[in-house]
Amino acid sequence: MILGLDVGGTQTDAVVIDKGQVVVATKTPTGGDLLTTLRTALENTLRDVAPAWLNRMAFSTTMATNAIVQDRIEDTGMIVSAGPGMDPEWFSVGPSYHVVEGCLDHQGFEAEPLNRVAVMDAAARIREEGIKVIGITGKFSVRNPSHEHRIADWVGSSFYHVAMGHRVSGALNFPRRIVTTYLNAALHGLHKEFLDALVHILNEKGLAAPRYLLKPDGGTINLDKSIYSPASIAQSGPAASVMGALALDGCEGTTLVLDVGGTTTDMSVVLNGTPLLKPNGIRLGAFQTLIRSLMTHSLGIGGDSEVGIAEKGGLRIGAVRRGRPMAMGGPAPTPTDAMITLGLLKTGNKDAANAAMEEVGGPLGWDAATTAQRVLKHMAETIAESAKVFIHDINSQPVYTIHQVLEDQKIEPTSVLIIGGPAPQIAEYIGRAFGLPHRFPHHHGVANAVGAAVARVTSEITLQADTERGSVIIPEANVENKINSSFDIEQAVALGRELLSQQAVRSGAEEKGLEISITEKQMFNMIRGYARTGKNIRLKMGITPGLIPEWKRSHYE
Amino acid sequence: MIRAARRTGLVFFPAFDWAISPSHPEREERLLYTQDQVLEEGLLDIDGIVEYRVRPATYEDLRRVHFCVPDEAAVTTESHLISAGGCLVAADAVLDGEVESAFALVRPPGHHSRRVVHGNRGFCNINNEAVMIEYIRGKYGIKKIAIVDTDCHHGDGTQDIYWHDPNTLFISIHQDGRTLYPGSGFPDEAGGPNAQGFTVNIPLPPQTGEQGFLHVMDELVMPLLEKFEPEIVINSAGQDNHFNDPITNMNFSARGYSTLNAQLKPDIAVLEGGYAVENALPYVNVGIIMAMAGMDTTFVKEPNYDRDYQEQPPEITRNIEQIVKQLRDLFLEGGLKTVSYEEGIIVERSRDVFYDTDGIHERQHEKIRCCRHCAGALAIASTSNLGQHILAVQIPVEACTACLQIGLAWFEEGTRGAFSHVYLQDRVRGIYECT
Ligand SMILES: [Zn+2]
Ligand SMILES: [Zn+2]
Repeated sequence: MILGLDVGGTQTDAVVIDKGQVVVATKTPTGGDLLTTLRTALENTLRDVAPAWLNRMAFSTTMATNAIVQDRIEDTGMIVSAGPGMDPEWFSVGPSYHVVEGCLDHQGFEAEPLNRVAVMDAAARIREEGIKVIGITGKFSVRNPSHEHRIADWVGSSFYHVAMGHRVSGALNFPRRIVTTYLNAALHGLHKEFLDALVHILNEKGLAAPRYLLKPDGGTINLDKSIYSPASIAQSGPAASVMGALALDGCEGTTLVLDVGGTTTDMSVVLNGTPLLKPNGIRLGAFQTLIRSLMTHSLGIGGDSEVGIAEKGGLRIGAVRRGRPMAMGGPAPTPTDAMITLGLLKTGNKDAANAAMEEVGGPLGWDAATTAQRVLKHMAETIAESAKVFIHDINSQPVYTIHQVLEDQKIEPTSVLIIGGPAPQIAEYIGRAFGLPHRFPHHHGVANAVGAAVARVTSEITLQADTERGSVIIPEANVENKINSSFDIEQAVALGRELLSQQAVRSGAEEKGLEISITEKQMFNMIRGYARTGKNIRLKMGITPGLIPEWKRSHYE
Repeated sequence: MIRAARRTGLVFFPAFDWAISPSHPEREERLLYTQDQVLEEGLLDIDGIVEYRVRPATYEDLRRVHFCVPDEAAVTTESHLISAGGCLVAADAVLDGEVESAFALVRPPGHHSRRVVHGNRGFCNINNEAVMIEYIRGKYGIKKIAIVDTDCHHGDGTQDIYWHDPNTLFISIHQDGRTLYPGSGFPDEAGGPNAQGFTVNIPLPPQTGEQGFLHVMDELVMPLLEKFEPEIVINSAGQDNHFNDPITNMNFSARGYSTLNAQLKPDIAVLEGGYAVENALPYVNVGIIMAMAGMDTTFVKEPNYDRDYQEQPPEITRNIEQIVKQLRDLFLEGGLKTVSYEEGIIVERSRDVFYDTDGIHERQHEKIRCCRHCAGALAIASTSNLGQHILAVQIPVEACTACLQIGLAWFEEGTRGAFSHVYLQDRVRGIYECT
C-alpha cells in the first residue's frame, strides 16, 4: 500500500492506495504548525491501516515555500566570483554578500585566478556577523567547478554548511544560480530540523516504509537525499495535482488539466502522458531560481472567490476570497453558492445560497437560478480565456534551429480534464466554454494526494564535453573526467546514461526499467582558422515526470 | 529585480543546424557561445527584455526588394528565410509598440546581398535589413529610414539597393576598401542621380580603435542623422571590427560597441558579420543588448581586454580626423558636388559583380530615369556566367506617373527581347511579375 499526502493552503489531503485503488481518502484542515498538521492527517488517514502494510510514503509539503515567503530562512553568507558582464552587485542576496575577483570564460577556461586574500577576507566578515552557513557561486561554474571547489576548500571548514552553485543545476544562468545556491544554504538547517521531526513522527507511528518528498517538477526524491537541495522541494502543490490527474486519467492526447480549488484554478498541459516542463526554473516569492518545475499557471478564481458586479456592469469573480460561501455562513456570494442554488451541490444552507445569488443578480433583474447559471458560465469563460493566453505563451517560446521552425510544433489541447473539489459541478460549464471534450476522474477531490503517492523519481543531468579543454563535466553529478580528442557523442550518451541512472537510484528510483529521455543533444566542431581544434558536445538527459511502475502495472497491464 | 530602462525585444536565431560549409566562418556554432553568455548573464530574466520567436519570411517579402535569379527557391534556403523573418519579427515588436527597440541576433547575414541575386556574396544571399525596411514601409507607412552599417566590411549590398532612394540614408563605417573585401565604399560613392548625398561611406584605416569609432559617431554619424531626421534608425550591427576578429584588422571592443550603440540608440539592430565567435561575439552581443536596454555596461569587456586591447596609434587618430573633416565638408557643409540632371533623362551605368562564395561572375547594365518626384524607374540587365541573361525592372514606392509608365514600357519591351527571364517589381501596385 502507498500513502500519499499533500499539504495545501487550507486543506491537507491524504490517500492510501492499494493495488491501484484509492482505499482511504481524508481531508484535514491545515493548521498553523506543519508538523501538527502532518501528524493529525496521518492519524486521520491510517486509522485502519497497519504500518507494516505500507511499502511507500510520499509527501508534498509547504515547508520550504512557507519559510521563504514568511522570511524565516537562516542568515546566509554568499561568496560570488563573476568576471565581465552584468555588475555582480546587482544580484546581492542575503545579509552578507561578497564578490571576489576570479573569472572563468564560457568554455570554462580560467580568465582570471581567484583572489585568495579576498576570499579569506569575505569568509572572515561573514563569520564576524555570526553567520554559520554560506553559499558559493561562480559565473560559468557549471563549465568548470574548480573555483567553487577551491573557495570551499579554503573557507568551508569554518562553516556549518556550504552550498555550491554547480550542484544546483547544469543550466546556464548565473543570477538564478546565485539565488538557488543561497536558498539551498539558507534552508539547510530548517529542512534538517523538519526532516528530523517528520522522521520522528513516522518512527513513533511505526511507519518504516521508504519515504519520499514531491518536487515542483512532478517527481519525487528520497527524503534523506533531499537535504542536499532543500529548495528543490518548494512549491510542489501544483505538481501534485498534475501528477494526480495523470494517474487517475492517463491523459492521452493533449490534455489541458484544470485544478479548480477554493481560491485558485491551476492549469497545466499533459502531452500523451508526459506533463510539460517550464523552460526556466520556478519563482519562489521574490526569487527566480533554477529549480525545475512543471509548466503551470495559477488563476485567482476558485469555488470560494467573491462574486460581484464589475464597474462596467458585468459579473466579476475573484481574485479575492473573503471567506466561506454564504451558504456555509460566509460573508460574500461565491461560485459555490451558485452550485448550491442550482442543486448541483447538496451541502450548506440553500436559502442562504439563493439569497447570495439574489444579492448579486437582483439589481440586474435576474432571479437566483439565472444568476447562478450566469455566475458559473462566467467563471468557466474566464478560465477558458486565461487558458488561451497560457497556451499562446507556451507556443510563443523561441526556437533555435531551422528544424524546429519548420516543424512548428504547437500545443493544441484536445480535451479538458478537471480535478479539484468542484470538478463535477463546473465540468459542463467548462466544456461549453472551451468547446472541447471534458471529463473529471473519480477521486477528483484528492487527485493531489494521489499524485504525490504515485509520482516516480525524476532526475536530470547536463553533460558538456569539450575535447579542446580535454574534459567532460556533469555538474549535477559532481563529475569532471579527463577525455581525449576521440571522445564522441556515443560515449557521451553512454556516460550520461550511467551517471543519470546512478543518480536516480540514489534518489530512490527503481533501477529496473528506468525511462531515460534525451532532451537535448548537440555536437559542434570547434574551429580556429580553418582547422578543427576540437568537439563541443552538449547533452541534457533526464527521467521525466511519470508514474511509479507499481501504479502503471496495476492500471495498464 | 533588475529592470531595463528601455523595453527591448530580442529575436535570437542561431541556426544551430546550418552552415555554408563545415569549416566556413559562417557555420553552426557561430552564435553558440553568444547564446551561452546571454543565458549565463541571465539577460532574458530582466524585466523589460523580451525574447521573441522567429518566423520565416515569405517569397513575397523578398520580392519587395530582390530579383532572385532565376527564382527565390534557387538562391535561398530555409535559413535565409528565417533569418530575414527574424528581422520582420523585430520590426513588428518595435512598430506595434511592444518594445522601444529590438535586436535581431540572426544568421546568416545579409548586407552584401544586392538587388539582383544570382547566389551568395560575402556569406550573404538575402539582404535582411532591406527586406525588413520594405516590409516596414508597406505595413506601417514609414517613409524616411536611416541605416547605419557598423560592420567592418563595406555594406555594398545595402548600398546597391538604396543607391537611388532619397528616402533612405545609408551610412557605412568600415575598414578601408583598399585593405579588405569587398574593396568598395569610398567617399565618392554618394548615391545615384536621384539620391545624391544619401549614401555616405566612411572608410577607416586598419587599427582604428574605440577612440576613432566614437569620434566618427560624434562628428559625423550623429550630425548626419540629425540633419536627415529619419523616422526610424536601423543598425547593421556587424561585429567584425573587433580586435579579436580573425578576418579583419580593426581594433574595436565590446565596450566600444556598447558605447556606440548607447549613442546611436537604433530602433532596430540586425546582426551582420563577426567571426571571433568565442572571444568577441559573446561580449559584444551582451554589451549591445544591455546598451539597447539602457543598462550600465561598465563591466562588459572581453576577458583578454586589459592584456590585448591597444589604444589606436596617434598617426591613425590623425588620419581619422582628416577623413572625418573631409566627409563633414562633403555631407554636412554642402561641399558635395551634385549633378543636376534634367528631368526625364535616362542615366546608364555598367559594372561587374563577383560572387566570391559561389564563384559567379555577373555583368550588369543599369538604367535609371532621373526624376524629382520619386526614386525613379530602374531597369537592370544582368548576365551571369551561369547562363542567365535577365532584365529586372523596378517601379519604386510612390513612383510618379511618368516613372510608372516608363517602367511598364521597359518591362513590356523586355518581354519581347532575348532575355531568359524578365522581372517586374511594381511597388506602386504591389505586383511582382516574372516571365
Ligand atoms: Zn563583415
Ligand atoms: Zn518619377
